Amino acid sequence: MSGNFEVIGSRAPRKDAPNKSTGKARYIEDIKFPGELAGALLQSPQAHAKIKRIDISRAQALPGVVAVITAQDVPDVKYGVSPARYDETLFAVDRVRYVGDEIAAVAAEDLATAQRAVEFIEVEYEPLPVLLTVEQATAEGAPWLHEQFPDNVCAQVEQEFGDVEAAFAGCDLIQEGSFFSKRQDGAFIEPNQCVALMDSDGVLNLHSSTQVPHYVQRTLAMVTGLNMSKVRVVKPYVGGGFGPKASATPIDLAAGFLAMKTGRPVRMAYTREQVFLFSRARHGFTHHMKIGVKKDGTLMALDHRATLDGGAYSSFGIATVYYAGSLLGGPYKLPNMRYHGLRVFTNKPACGAQRGHGGVIARALFEQQMDVIAERLGMDPIELRLKNMMETGDVTCNDLAMSSLGMRECIEAVKNGSGWDQKKGKLPKGKGIGMACGFFVSGAGYPIYRSETYHCTIMIKADEDGGGIVVYTASAEIGQGSETTMAMIAAEAVGIPYEQVRVKSGDTDFGIDLGAYSSRTTLMTGHATKEAGENLKAMILETLAQELEIDQSRLDIKNGLIKISGDPVDFSAIRIGYIKEHRGWQDQPSGDELTFREAARLAYLRRGTLVSTGKYKPPVLGGKYKGAAVGTSPAYGCSAQVAEVSVDFETGQIKVERITDAHDCGQAVNLTSVEAQMQGSVSMGLGEALFEEVKFDGQGRILNPSLGEYHIPTVMDMPETKCIVVESGEPNGPFGAKEVGEGAIMPTIPAILNAVRNATGLVLDETPLTPERVYLAIKKQKGA
Amino acid sequence: MLLPSFDYYRPQSLPEALSLLGEMGEDARPLAGGTDLLVNLKLKKLAPKVLLDLGGLEELKGNRADDGLVSLGALDTASRLASGGPEVPGLLAMGAGALGSPQVRNRATLGGNLVTARPAADICLPLLALGAKAVLAGPNGEREVALDGYFKGPGYTVKEAGEILTRVILDAPRPGVGGGYQKLGLRQAMEIALVNVAAHLELEDDGKTVALARVALGAVAPFPMLSPGAASALIGKPAQETCFSEAAEAAAAEARPIDDHRGSAAYRRDMVRTLTLRALRQALSQAQGNQEAQA
Ligand SMILES: Cc1cc2nc3c(=O)[nH]c(=O)nc-3n(C[C@H](O)[C@H](O)[C@H](O)COP(=O)(O)OP(=O)(O)OC[C@H]3O[C@@H](n4cnc5c(N)ncnc54)[C@H](O)[C@@H]3O)c2cc1C
Repeated sequence: MSGNFEVIGSRAPRKDAPNKSTGKARYIEDIKFPGELAGALLQSPQAHAKIKRIDISRAQALPGVVAVITAQDVPDVKYGVSPARYDETLFAVDRVRYVGDEIAAVAAEDLATAQRAVEFIEVEYEPLPVLLTVEQATAEGAPWLHEQFPDNVCAQVEQEFGDVEAAFAGCDLIQEGSFFSKRQDGAFIEPNQCVALMDSDGVLNLHSSTQVPHYVQRTLAMVTGLNMSKVRVVKPYVGGGFGPKASATPIDLAAGFLAMKTGRPVRMAYTREQVFLFSRARHGFTHHMKIGVKKDGTLMALDHRATLDGGAYSSFGIATVYYAGSLLGGPYKLPNMRYHGLRVFTNKPACGAQRGHGGVIARALFEQQMDVIAERLGMDPIELRLKNMMETGDVTCNDLAMSSLGMRECIEAVKNGSGWDQKKGKLPKGKGIGMACGFFVSGAGYPIYRSETYHCTIMIKADEDGGGIVVYTASAEIGQGSETTMAMIAAEAVGIPYEQVRVKSGDTDFGIDLGAYSSRTTLMTGHATKEAGENLKAMILETLAQELEIDQSRLDIKNGLIKISGDPVDFSAIRIGYIKEHRGWQDQPSGDELTFREAARLAYLRRGTLVSTGKYKPPVLGGKYKGAAVGTSPAYGCSAQVAEVSVDFETGQIKVERITDAHDCGQAVNLTSVEAQMQGSVSMGLGEALFEEVKFDGQGRILNPSLGEYHIPTVMDMPETKCIVVESGEPNGPFGAKEVGEGAIMPTIPAILNAVRNATGLVLDETPLTPERVYLAIKKQKGA
Repeated sequence: MLLPSFDYYRPQSLPEALSLLGEMGEDARPLAGGTDLLVNLKLKKLAPKVLLDLGGLEELKGNRADDGLVSLGALDTASRLASGGPEVPGLLAMGAGALGSPQVRNRATLGGNLVTARPAADICLPLLALGAKAVLAGPNGEREVALDGYFKGPGYTVKEAGEILTRVILDAPRPGVGGGYQKLGLRQAMEIALVNVAAHLELEDDGKTVALARVALGAVAPFPMLSPGAASALIGKPAQETCFSEAAEAAAAEARPIDDHRGSAAYRRDMVRTLTLRALRQALSQAQGNQEAQA
């Protein structure tokens, strides 16, 4: 690709780089308001209990305390992520369901006082049986966490595409396997924090570290009872999200209520431990799969069961349990697929969405089984994959349309890039090589609430002096580089240099944007930005055409210069007008082409301030079955990875030495950003594969709620990573672009699993692959 | 997270520090790099009324070599120890280099590591294997305590509340002496060891026979421990695989690991065996290496 673009496909320096590298970038912690109060939360120390009594009088009496609120002080409104499963209240009404469940909030003159006041709130609990595992929660006679969800079943999914049993009957080989993964934490670097304040227009302003200003605005409006227009959410720079920041937090809501009640700005922040308690990160998954193939390797059918340990509330879980099934529809041709998904409530923090939402462990097991099948059939794992690979234009059995799919190119790229043929089967003892594939949506096809709303709107305003443009977007820059991406797309669409574009983002006053989740921003907000850019260009060229008395179709803008096709046109009147207007200025336009500056200035003089808009919502997507909304997307990014590992047989330690990674992002808007997403995905996948596990004691308390004991990879653990960008040109994406943020994580875990199997012969079925687990498996294998 | 409030003193001499400590008793805590203390304050595990910053005490700084012995200041940071130097035994440099991350190593001190006395402490283990002595200064003057016998429990040593650890004293590095350090954790940095082992070997002039050996084990007892069985399996024997294996067996047998969420006792015991063997091989090659370099 990267054919005729001026800006797209380059390595333009990120818009936020100067601020972030000099420490000038303002995160929520850096934004202070006069007269701020400090808020603190009372969270339950019990995993499951009735609340018999709450006494806030001692807390209220503490000097410096300005307000104390409990469930009695806020409207009785349930909220959550998916409206069909609103099951949370800001404060526990009569029951707490996990260690960390919110009971009350305090606002005080300073944080120390607020925290002390929290300790002064007396709560009498009556303990209830604590259900910490799926087995306990689904056991006969177990109490229900929520009256509206019998037997602690949060969601159950039954889907069948094709005829799985009939297909199995015709298969030559059936492969079965299971996999068990552990609950994760998002481990973003910036703990959630917010400040809420009422302004003189009666608008509740919430500044919050979030991925989704719009959803936070909606939730805050719904829970407080304010109109949407009376709630504004502003997102400054954010230190990562990865999914757990994709919904309103209790501190967002509590700070809002406290600001309304006190009339003063109220700041609330999670400690690292509270980040673990709030969680909303990756579920612990259990998968069982039965896969049927023909002798020649043709995939025929998949029977898949998944159980998700959801924690105490639904959060994103309904989407998670659907994704866990639907994302196996591709990238292989799989004519028959049955899925049984179950998400269960337990007395632990609620799980939600995290990079690769729902699909990561399902993908890990499927790709591991593909390798086992290849071995049983005597095929090379790459050959088996290529044999079954879908191609551009194919549609999965569950109606996911692969409008572009560079899977084959990705596989070839990692095969050649890793030296697969020279290594596979020829490595010394203890070394292994493995590969895997994966794909992911480029944005959820539907908003999280049922609506015909646009998923994003854009406003572009040209500077009145013609010097540049400002893009206004409510989308969320959370470190992934979306401001840079939108600046590049706008520059390309208008036809001006990247440096002439400024981006203002993350403010609900700028319009609608569903936020940074489901890898949607580049494709969706990108579309809207492109449209707004093209509209602006058309406005300028329309005025210019009138002025020059030529047909508008003869005009274009490229790299900040007006291109006029056909016979030469005399534009000296415009230039002279501009020069006269700028007498004494040093940078008068010259040269034999009219500049964007002159044309945009002229357009302003003729029609006033130039503002254009753009919007996007996906076209109607495939799938009429229940649950079709989860998985269908305008486009799918895909990837392949080869992992090379060494295994220490005496300690069980695994070292991932090299990852060769190819991802098809349709068209790289910014090559450096694409590679950064690939690198980040490898790091996150590696952590999940080898280290990460949130652990609980018998009472539902987290044993390792810190980044000291919850191990994410350090730079020392990162393998050498070779990133290869594949560009298939996505017809449904702006300038051909689609996702890279989440698809890139899909192959990492299974590639490592397959490499470890290659090194040891072990089919390991439990992550993380800690040294102890691997060591015990090796010992068992030796004994056997 | 908020630090609780406390008073802060920065005495300029050891006598001043000791008298302040004497006055305030249990209410005061010495502060070195703060990498343990400040964390514990934030976690509300400790609530001293006074922090006594040791940073101004020249008596706790600098390394000296004298008469075959070296004395290392309590305020030596892990970074400085990790970068070695003529007074710093290779084994200590290895342990210090395995502590935390560069940022933590820039603040973490030798004294803090010895007083915190975690079971897996990366500076304690090498010092224990090296046969170091801690110098404790108190109201009645100084006393020297061998590290074998210094540790009493996690975070608990023979040091009394009114005492300040000023230095450690150990044999100067010399030819024919080598160390091996093995640390097993999940990741490559920022890690509390699941098991760690420090081995110290001194060879006879023949370059083969073990004259002296000490093997220290981490994370397998309430405090860093020596394995006497490992030492006696080695001393007087030719330094080679046979007695290394015996020493590794003895170390595994003497380790007292427990099950916790980081790992099982059985796994830890097996790892003591593996890591002891590896540490001894490493120590031998270091000992022979510097003996050859000398020759
Ligand atoms: C992120 C992180 C990672 C870490 N990783 C490791 C690791 O890998 N390995 C490891 O072993 N440790 C690790 N630690 C623990 C810590 O860094 C070490 O124990 C360090 O050596 C402590 O030294 P300090 O100077 O910071 O001690 P401080 O925190 O200043 O003091 C610790 C204790 O010792 C007392 N004290 C300090 N100096 C003296 C003295 N001279 N006399 C009397 N009392 C004294 C203090 O009163 C306090 O009780 C880590 C800590 C952190 C925060």
